[in-house]
Amino acid sequence: MNVATLIFWPLVAITLVGAAGAAFARNLVYAALSLGASLAGIAGLYFFLQAEYIAVIQMIVYVGGILILILFGVMFSRDIQGTSSQSSWSAKLLGGLASLAALVSLGKLSWTISQKEGLGLLATRSPTSSWVGQISSSSTTHLGDLLMGPFLVPFLVIAVLLTVVLIAALGLVRKDAP
Amino acid sequence: MMDLLLGGPDRLAPYLMLAAALFALGVFACVTRRNPVGYLMGIELMLNAANLDMVAYGRFRSETAAANAQVGSLFVIALAAAEAAVALALVYAIFQNLRDVDLDKIRSLNGEEP
Repeated sequence: MNVATLIFWPLVAITLVGAAGAAFARNLVYAALSLGASLAGIAGLYFFLQAEYIAVIQMIVYVGGILILILFGVMFSRDIQGTSSQSSWSAKLLGGLASLAALVSLGKLSWTISQKEGLGLLATRSPTSSWVGQISSSSTTHLGDLLMGPFLVPFLVIAVLLTVVLIAALGLVRKDAP
Repeated sequence: MMDLLLGGPDRLAPYLMLAAALFALGVFACVTRRNPVGYLMGIELMLNAANLDMVAYGRFRSETAAANAQVGSLFVIALAAAEAAVALALVYAIFQNLRDVDLDKIRSLNGEEP
């Protein structure tokens, strides 16, 4: 067991426990904070997948931006502690069944695909090179080339969409909104 | 012992299994939460699971696939940010009008008194 493994499994555990807290915690503030732990754990996992740029963006946008937005949104709730507004047993049963179905189907699919790893369906490239210390310096440069090349039109569409969304959000919260 | 079951960080299986678990937890949060912000947290969990899946598949496929997957996950992150902004604006608008954001009590469009 090397150092990478010693870091990897605690990261997976943090991500899982944080997600469970976000799904099950009664207090909405606790749920939001454990969602933050889960998102940070996923950012760490992106480093293991040699996606350093995505990892940094995940930290900035999710942990730094969306989490703060969610914490602001929690303040609009009348019952933050979740003492009186518990969902009914039928809703919980339905949620349990739906999530169980998702877990079983996705897990079975993932297991089947990852067992075929060695059969050429998914060529495992350099299985020993995924240690964090070996940052592929070309990855971010390559990403920029792609965004300014073949993905230029989607990139511009996203830019326009973000502008429209910001203006629309402002319009929604205007005092004299129609 | 987890290594024997799923492999370590240089195998595909642990990432896919983790993403499946995250997606299932997101579905549970979406169905059971009565607060729209909790609902939003479930959606963020599901989006993150999909992103993790995409980047992991690309990483274990080829150099080109890895770069394309990362561009795709960047787009997903941007869309998630936009969606969170609109959702919070909607929550604020509902709060201004009804003074409560419980999803089960918002029935004024149904002809009932708020």
